[in-house]
Amino acid sequence: MSRQTKLVPKLTTTQIALSGGRRSQSLWAEAIRNLFRNRSAIIGLIIIAALLLIALFAPAIAPYPPNEQLFNDEAHRGIGRLPGRPPCIHLLGCPAEQPQHLMGLDLNARDMFSRVIYGSQISLFVGFFSVIVSIFTGSLLGMLAGYAGGWVDNAIMRLMDVLLAFPSLLLAIAIVTFLGPGLQNALLAISIVSIPAYARLARASVLQVKEFEYITAVRTLGAPSGRILFGHILPNILTPLIVQGTLGIGTAVLDAAALSFLGLGAQPPDPEWGAILSEGRNRVFTEPHLVFFPGLAIMLTVLGFNLLGDGMRDALDPRLNRI
Amino acid sequence: MIAFIVRRLVSSIPVIVGILAVTFLIARVIPGNPCTAIYGERATPELCRAFAVRYGLDQPLPQQFVTYVGQFATGDLGDSIRYSLPITRLIAERLPVTLELGLLALTFATLVGIPLGVISAYRRNSAVDVGTMLIANIGVSMPVFWLGLMLAYIFSVGLRGTFLQLPPSGELPPGFRYLPFYVAWGLAPSTDAASPFLIFLGNLKILNAILTLNGELLVNALRYLILPAVAVGTIPMSIIARMTRSAVLETLGQDYVRTARSKGLREGVVVVRHAVRNALLPVVTIIGLNFGLLVSGAVLTETIFGLTGVGRTLVDGITSRDYPLVQGFTVFIAVAFVLINLIVDVLYGVLDPRIRVN
Repeated sequence: MSRQTKLVPKLTTTQIALSGGRRSQSLWAEAIRNLFRNRSAIIGLIIIAALLLIALFAPAIAPYPPNEQLFNDEAHRGIGRLPGRPPCIHLLGCPAEQPQHLMGLDLNARDMFSRVIYGSQISLFVGFFSVIVSIFTGSLLGMLAGYAGGWVDNAIMRLMDVLLAFPSLLLAIAIVTFLGPGLQNALLAISIVSIPAYARLARASVLQVKEFEYITAVRTLGAPSGRILFGHILPNILTPLIVQGTLGIGTAVLDAAALSFLGLGAQPPDPEWGAILSEGRNRVFTEPHLVFFPGLAIMLTVLGFNLLGDGMRDALDPRLNRI
Repeated sequence: MIAFIVRRLVSSIPVIVGILAVTFLIARVIPGNPCTAIYGERATPELCRAFAVRYGLDQPLPQQFVTYVGQFATGDLGDSIRYSLPITRLIAERLPVTLELGLLALTFATLVGIPLGVISAYRRNSAVDVGTMLIANIGVSMPVFWLGLMLAYIFSVGLRGTFLQLPPSGELPPGFRYLPFYVAWGLAPSTDAASPFLIFLGNLKILNAILTLNGELLVNALRYLILPAVAVGTIPMSIIARMTRSAVLETLGQDYVRTARSKGLREGVVVVRHAVRNALLPVVTIIGLNFGLLVSGAVLTETIFGLTGVGRTLVDGITSRDYPLVQGFTVFIAVAFVLINLIVDVLYGVLDPRIRVN
């Protein structure tokens, strides 16, 4: 790091203007350095990296297939009632002759640990996919509104205002109710309800950036609107969108779990965390492990993205006060 | 001030019309016949024709929308299929539970969140600060329904037999009845004869307990509401704590705080009267904006704790495919959301005169 500081001498504004592009590269490098200096960002990154690895290597990590009922399993004969069996961890004193189940068995005698491990695939997919869809649609609408102005701006933003007028989970519930329950429709609903946030953000950033002199310069050179918007404005408004998107993944995971919990998202036997939790909720007083572990998994995932998002906001957005 | 309120009121009218349009379109444009969805295999063509005539579904879409807006303007949200009752009556009966839950949750969030944020800012980077912010970060990341179930388990099973034991579900002990204030005061002979507004007030248990000086009702109502309120209030509490922390940190660095200190004021006075007071403005907005979270929280928490509020009725309406109910409740909540944001805006204007001008 210190070598880098020596190699890049402090530039005056004029030198930066003359250097053309070099300044922006060093800004990114600085942002990444800041990110790695930020404690919460690092914890967030570690949690997310671990989750990605778990999702990727789920078949190797999970001891059983997620939907396998163990009634006819050789090792489970004669050990007593299987459905809802509490965790058995050999290290914590569970007899070695009993098969190990880190998170116990669910009400259908399936291994909870395996289900929670496989659940990470669904939750991460839901989180990333819905955010990609809503960032794409939202920023396109917002950029269009901010750049075109006039009635286009008015029409798009009033629609966004209306969507924002609904509490997001409520709107998602309403959409899924009429589309029909299922993971795919839940994904669509979650994407739709988060579009306005990105649209507003993109519009505000475009309004700010389009007044800059370099945009006027490009326009004077006769560049078409499309190239100005996507080639010159977009790269300069990406930062807040990326930050918002990272925080949005956490929200999407929570909303998807809530929809599944209400029976509107993933359907049994899919090992989605909200759905697993919902299956066990009536037995929470006698078999709390049915609820505890999937909820813990949701919390850790959301925490990871929230910490990373907060850290990124501090590191990447120089306009914000670093308190 | 009045001009400011009128301006804000007028600007929310298009949003309310938009809400009506969106709920109307969601219910009608999306493929699927509500008749077959509701009656299932019993749906004969004759039954569906009668159904369409009854709910005005045989009219052209624009006309349906005009009728719908007209009904809304007169306070008619339609009838529930499942309960065969006007939706406004159902709201009058069930909103009180949600309202008490939401207000208690907000009280919890504010009373815990603001002090946590202030202490955290004042003792910046200390163990207290790190611990508080860790709790706040975990608080915003927790699924409400999971927290609710865990609280129910801990306080009804884990702490059974101790004075901290709390009931895991319901609104009042089984068999516990209370006399609504309007009957006690002779305003109406019974609940059946009362107007929806009296029913609404009568179902506010804490208000009733105070009006009829019923201590037993107050204690019971609170005991049953505490766990759901903590579950709903945890996310807003965490957000308020974080927001308060950064706002107080900012004011603590201001010149007027230094002036107050150099005047020789006691540290407590400097922090509370000068720093915190000025930091509370953004916190008020955040409290108002948390209404959406409270509603989402209430939908999930009422389902877990068996509270017959607006949220649970809505979820039940979804499972029983009571479309008019889902539509009516959604519109009601969204319009309430707009009005609450309006009140927050006005409050903000009262607290900070600069906003009125701009």
